[in-house]
Amino acid sequence: MTSIQLKNIKKSYGKTEVIHGIDLDIPSGEFCVFVGPSGCGKSTLLRMIAGLEDVTAGDLLIDGARVNGISAAKRGLAMVFQSYALYPHMSVRKNLSFGLENINLPKAEIKSRVEDAARMLQIDGYLDRKPGQLSGGQRQRVAIGRAVVREPRAFLFDEPLSNLDAELRVATRGEISALHQRLGNTMIYVTHDQVEAMTMADKIAVLRAGRLEQFGAPLELYNAPANMFVAGFIGSPRMNFLKAGLIAGAGQTILRLQDGQDIALSTDRFGRPASRPAVMGIRPGDLEITDSDAPLHMQVTAVEQLGSESILFGTSPCDEELVVTARGQTAVRVGDRLNLRPNPDAIHVFDAQSEESLALQ
Amino acid sequence: MWAFLTRTQGRGRLTLVDWLSYGYLAFGFLLIFIPVVWLGLNSVKTAFQIERQDISLIPGDYTRVARATVQGPDGKRIFFITDLPDWVLNWRDLSAADQAAQDVAGFLSAQTGDAALALRSHLGQTEPQALAVIAAQGLPDWLPRYRTMSASAKAEVNIEAALAGLSPANDRLLREFTGLYPGARLTSQILVSAPDPQTGEIRQWGVSNIDIKRAFTPARPVDAVNAKVTKLPTASLQADRNVQIAWENYIDPLSGSSYGVTVDFTRCLTNSVIVTIVGTAITLLINSMAAFALSKYKFRGQVMFLALILATLMVPPTITLVGVFKAIQATGISGSLWGIIIPGSATPAGVFMLRQYMLTLPDELIEAARMDSASEWKIFWKIVAPLALPAIAALGILSIVWRWNDLIVPLVAVATVKEAYTIQLCLLEFRGEHTSQEHYRLAMTMVSLIPTTLVFVFLQRYITTGIANSGMK
Ligand SMILES: Nc1ncnc2c1ncn2[C@@H]1O[C@H](COP(=O)(O)OP(=O)(O)OP(=O)(O)O)[C@@H](O)[C@H]1O
Ligand SMILES: [Mg+2]
Repeated sequence: MTSIQLKNIKKSYGKTEVIHGIDLDIPSGEFCVFVGPSGCGKSTLLRMIAGLEDVTAGDLLIDGARVNGISAAKRGLAMVFQSYALYPHMSVRKNLSFGLENINLPKAEIKSRVEDAARMLQIDGYLDRKPGQLSGGQRQRVAIGRAVVREPRAFLFDEPLSNLDAELRVATRGEISALHQRLGNTMIYVTHDQVEAMTMADKIAVLRAGRLEQFGAPLELYNAPANMFVAGFIGSPRMNFLKAGLIAGAGQTILRLQDGQDIALSTDRFGRPASRPAVMGIRPGDLEITDSDAPLHMQVTAVEQLGSESILFGTSPCDEELVVTARGQTAVRVGDRLNLRPNPDAIHVFDAQSEESLALQ
Repeated sequence: MWAFLTRTQGRGRLTLVDWLSYGYLAFGFLLIFIPVVWLGLNSVKTAFQIERQDISLIPGDYTRVARATVQGPDGKRIFFITDLPDWVLNWRDLSAADQAAQDVAGFLSAQTGDAALALRSHLGQTEPQALAVIAAQGLPDWLPRYRTMSASAKAEVNIEAALAGLSPANDRLLREFTGLYPGARLTSQILVSAPDPQTGEIRQWGVSNIDIKRAFTPARPVDAVNAKVTKLPTASLQADRNVQIAWENYIDPLSGSSYGVTVDFTRCLTNSVIVTIVGTAITLLINSMAAFALSKYKFRGQVMFLALILATLMVPPTITLVGVFKAIQATGISGSLWGIIIPGSATPAGVFMLRQYMLTLPDELIEAARMDSASEWKIFWKIVAPLALPAIAALGILSIVWRWNDLIVPLVAVATVKEAYTIQLCLLEFRGEHTSQEHYRLAMTMVSLIPTTLVFVFLQRYITTGIANSGMK
């Protein structure tokens, strides 16, 4: 079993630094997802772990041993590329066995490993085809198979599903999870799709512009985002953000919205923070539509009926955007004015300046 | 095939564009093909026909007749000998083996009169017969050398005394042999029939050649002795042609039995094959490895290397020729096949072309191979080289054609060593000791075209596969 540790890892291309010092501890056997917007450095980080890019500064440890100077071939990791990178001139069988032949495994062993992997991934019917004669999904399986036969210490995936259609993506997602269950290897999986991250990960690392924003279990990130970026990135539809003032009163702390409405914050969750400009965060599902008076109001501008739930888009009186999800189907129409009551236990408060969460951890 | 050739762009009738396309195609085809056909036809012409500079496209010759000039006591006699066998007419163009195979003595013994004299000298029998007479009659031993003796040496001996008392026939033989008497001559002429300008009667004539650009052709009637030269209108001449394909132009040099030529064609062919195969293999290996490094590795000075390679592209090879010569001399490979092979091994154009192609191969493939624990060497052989095969095949064809056709480098490297001649040097130097042997040269030029054609036919498959694979271009 394999643990992977990153200690203040930095990466520069020439003078531009793209990874600004990342610390990460991926325990053995965990399914860790790197997620973040495009260009944030996920692939770069993964490629450094793989050994395909040099580490500019910091230490990279696999099972406690520093591997900065060790070549990709010797790290014992397997990688599945976004483009699959199957060898187009080799048959599927040869694609799978190439890596095994390179480490001089006995022929019989290679054969049995290839056949086992092919059976497990249901590609045993196409072993003699060339990659060009396979569908996208089949190629994907071959790419995974090529990693599996190596019996690597850890698997690295770089957006392996981004070339598949929506349906196949969901199915393959399940298969990769199942593969993890069965093999129990450490896996690092890069995606920019937070749904993939939430559904597959044991731990998610949220990256932004070369920095680690938060590292934790999916629900931890959902329930207690460390900052506005993570709060906005995790969860769909996105969390609502409303500008507010934090006012530390005598008995309680009050969040005063721009239109003058006050919301009391529980001391259990927030302690007693000092007064300051703040941002209130509330997920669309944590707003309840009510007839009675409520602190939030919304003028509906669009309605999306999904059947099992409805998504209402609108603006607050101060022209801030609001999204609300309601269970089931709704009679609300565009132009309606709604009263919204936030679930007090689901309110997030962020410092307006630093965007850090003010909730007690 | 036919369906493809007759396919039109519209339905049914051929449009103007179709006609133009066909016309263009045919024009292009002829442009490429006519010189080859011309060469092919010339390569099977007999040596005789080529030496006559007969520009007719058809290999073969006019029906010929022998014209004899014999010096007699009452002056020159010019007359025609008809119905001679081919081997007698073409005697001077026969190989030594072919000459030896003929029963010359038997043929001559059947001849009489002046014809026998002319044929004796034509068939080269004057010398052996004269030597036999000298030996049999016990004549002085300086007689065989008399012809080549200096004037002062000739003054010291008494030739008339030596020849006194011989029979008239032997006297004539020895006088011809010693050069005291002009020898009889036989020349081959074209047999034509044409109306006699005076009488209008159709007669047979002998002419030395037929040039349609001249209005009149000088001719002598075949059936008269010492007839005057008559000027016949060229347009009125009727000559028979017999098509005759001279395969021996090919067979002789290839089997090494070509008579009196200065270079060994089969040897040259072997040398060229070696130079081409080894040279191309080395070129492909060096160029593709350099291209791999330049396209897939990042290293200090990469741009400079590339600039340097491109810069050498700008230098015309003729400028570096002296340098190449010096280098070959200095390294001691001059005169061996290596002297030809090594100078052209790394070609900047080849490196550049392969590099451009390899740039299109995705880096992820190479990274995937690295993850698969492949060594860099293995990545090159197992991933990059097979994927760059279309470009490598294209370069291979270029290299083979270039190596095969190159004259300059062999000239610089091995001009003094006949054993290392390549085919092009061979063709340049191909000539007999005394005659030009143009017929062999034409045939061997034709042979030299075959390998490059075959190579193209076989290798072009890889190029097209490549284009189909990548779905580009
Ligand atoms: N070879 C390079 N030279 C210079 N900058 C680079 C290089 N490769 C990547 N970068 C920069 O590094 C940053 C991170 O790139 P990276 O490929 O890791 O992003 P990513 O998170 O994988 O994005 P995506 O989701 O779009 O794949 C980007 O800003 C990119 O411009
Ligand atoms: Mg990426």
